[in-house]
Amino acid sequence: MKKLSHFVLKPLWIMLWSLFILSNPALAHKASDSYLRLDVQGQQITGQWDIALRDIDFAMGLDSNGNGDITWGELRQRQSELSAWALARLTLARGGACSLGVEQLQVDEHTDGHYAVLQLRGQCPSASADLQLAYHLMFEVDALHRGLLRLNLDGSTQTAVLAPESATQNFKAQGGSRLAQFGQYLVEGIWHIWIGFDHILFLLSLLLPAVLVFQHPGWRAVAHFGQALREVLMVVTAFTAAHSITLTLAALRLVELPSRLVESTIALSVVLAAANNLKPVVAHRRWLMAFGFGLIHGFGFASVLADLGLPQGALVLSLLGFNLGVEVGQLAIVAAFLPLAFWLRHSAFYRRGVFVGGSALTLCLAAVWLVERAFNLKLL
Amino acid sequence: MKPPLPAAKHILRQARVIALCLATLALPLSAPAAPRTPSADAEVLERLPLRPGDTTAREFLQLRQALAKTPADADVANTLAQAYFDQAMAKGDPRYIGYAEAVITPFARTMTADLLLVRGQLRQYRHQFEAALDDFASALRLDPQLAQAHAWRGAIFLVQANYPAAQQSCQALLALERRALAGACNGLLLAYTGQLQAAQSSLQQALTESPAPESQLWLHTRLAEVAQWRGQTAQAEQHFKAALRTGLDDGYLLAAWSDFLLDQQRPAEVLALLASWESSDGLLLRLAEAETLLKLPVAARHVQAIADRFEAARLRGDVTHRAEEARFELRLRGNLQAALALAQANYTVQHEPRDARILLEAALAAKDPGAAQAAVHWLRSSGFQDPRLLVLAQALKPKTP
Repeated sequence: MKKLSHFVLKPLWIMLWSLFILSNPALAHKASDSYLRLDVQGQQITGQWDIALRDIDFAMGLDSNGNGDITWGELRQRQSELSAWALARLTLARGGACSLGVEQLQVDEHTDGHYAVLQLRGQCPSASADLQLAYHLMFEVDALHRGLLRLNLDGSTQTAVLAPESATQNFKAQGGSRLAQFGQYLVEGIWHIWIGFDHILFLLSLLLPAVLVFQHPGWRAVAHFGQALREVLMVVTAFTAAHSITLTLAALRLVELPSRLVESTIALSVVLAAANNLKPVVAHRRWLMAFGFGLIHGFGFASVLADLGLPQGALVLSLLGFNLGVEVGQLAIVAAFLPLAFWLRHSAFYRRGVFVGGSALTLCLAAVWLVERAFNLKLL
Repeated sequence: MKPPLPAAKHILRQARVIALCLATLALPLSAPAAPRTPSADAEVLERLPLRPGDTTAREFLQLRQALAKTPADADVANTLAQAYFDQAMAKGDPRYIGYAEAVITPFARTMTADLLLVRGQLRQYRHQFEAALDDFASALRLDPQLAQAHAWRGAIFLVQANYPAAQQSCQALLALERRALAGACNGLLLAYTGQLQAAQSSLQQALTESPAPESQLWLHTRLAEVAQWRGQTAQAEQHFKAALRTGLDDGYLLAAWSDFLLDQQRPAEVLALLASWESSDGLLLRLAEAETLLKLPVAARHVQAIADRFEAARLRGDVTHRAEEARFELRLRGNLQAALALAQANYTVQHEPRDARILLEAALAAKDPGAAQAAVHWLRSSGFQDPRLLVLAQALKPKTP
């Protein structure tokens, strides 16, 4: 009896032990670091600066009620003071002093606890000069503090450890490898069509019926591959032409639309395209739909490009690169989709599962987006 | 080119909407760490290491206020810096080393003997041994009676395996009639040069002469190690327990006692011992070793946590953890070549028995006897007597038919 209880108890104890550990993720003791990520594209600066709450507390006192815990409220209330404190200890210059501001305060977790995340944005006088950086955060109270910098200067990335003895650094401007810049924006374009679910779903909703023809009262499979290819080409070309026009207009700041309107209309376009598959209204000239809504999708791409920042020196080239990237990404999707759809076009799997089921799912998704974007809600 | 963060967030959000449409309950995937905006003001983000009622917190606050009032007062600065250093040693929290250094920095041109003594300690903590030796030497020029400076110099010479120089430091302590410090210094010197029995009596003598709990803790820890090298397991355990009974926090003691338990195949006791010490890298390493031996699922998570921490240290250019990193690669990740390279790099700076041990173990595991030549040479020339190390060195010898 005694033996048995001993035998049973020990594993139980060990199990409880691991539960205890799992529920208490302990944090490391580590020397103080801040993580500074800066993207300097021409005159535009964007960045993110993660500073440990413990460090902020040590330097300027965050625990206002003195209970030993730092809450989001205590941090949030000190946002402007925190921004002033941090920004006074980071200066950037590119052909003269750059402006720098905190756009948003968030939090994140690193190995040694929670950090305040300052989303930075700024502007420099020059788009092509060398970049000077001076960093003095925490040094007056913690001589072992280090700023871990990851700088993307016009497309080339470098890292540096900023210490009291290396607080001021000069970064050489690459001086415009135009080809590298073009390539960089090309990749960005490909990447953004692939992660832009709404653009992909819109395109796919229009392409799903390309291997079918609508003849009242239902859909029939096309006879020849050429028929499907022609339909796809028309849709894709119309979509491309339309969004290229508006992307260019928006990127050059010739036309500007409020982003909520743009994003909501994009969601609406997906709803309509998917609904059209379930209950066809436009059955034959889908390229018109592609063109019409393509215009609004172009504004969507432009907002992505605005976030990236366009180098003033190579504006047209970068724009061209980005747009081409979008087309390449799009063509890759088409190339994967079309042969498969053509091959499967007679099957129930395609007709009911992919075409009807996929369209219904897309409709539902896009409807959620539409409500979210139009009413500025977060349903999830 | 790395996609910017908003893109990742975008994907994540879309994935969540899809999950809603499919009416699944929740995303099985855990979200990657990304900046977020907490929804409630009351959300506790961080628990500060010093709680409000803590006497240490009050002491630091008073000293900081005093220094703010008289910023040029070297004595106040020295007291605060030393208090920070002691806190770093007790809790294994290196931020206090940085705080201490910042307190001293304004006095760079007007260093007193006491400030030099603190700066030397901070430098040795960062393994800047030559700079630390210089500071202690400068302190002694200003105040030849500063016994602690001799003690620290002795300790560094022992780490560097410079035994004649260590002996001079021990003698200087004796000349100052600091018998307890001299006994401790000599005890270690004797132990590292293989005269284990004499080392025990020297340390034991020091034990009777220094009743302060801090000294008792230190001497019992060292006596435990010497007993271990002599194979006197029961005696070693008694000394460790005596050291633990002082009730003081000490990272070194916990590490040494855990290593003893791991060597004795008693990993379950390490779990209990290090329950609240995960924040210290060195102690988490021992904890993860124990968990691995017990095949606990939590081990994998701790191994990952240690890897993350070493990576974070590497990013800031910190190489003071190489001995422990070597042990981590060898015992927990099985990266034999990485372990050997780290152990070798560590051995260029530190030559204590534990440094030799990890180098010998890593060389043996990597089947590269030549890599451990420096440690084998030290074993031979010092006469150090730990049977465990001698067995390792023997195993590394080329087999002659």
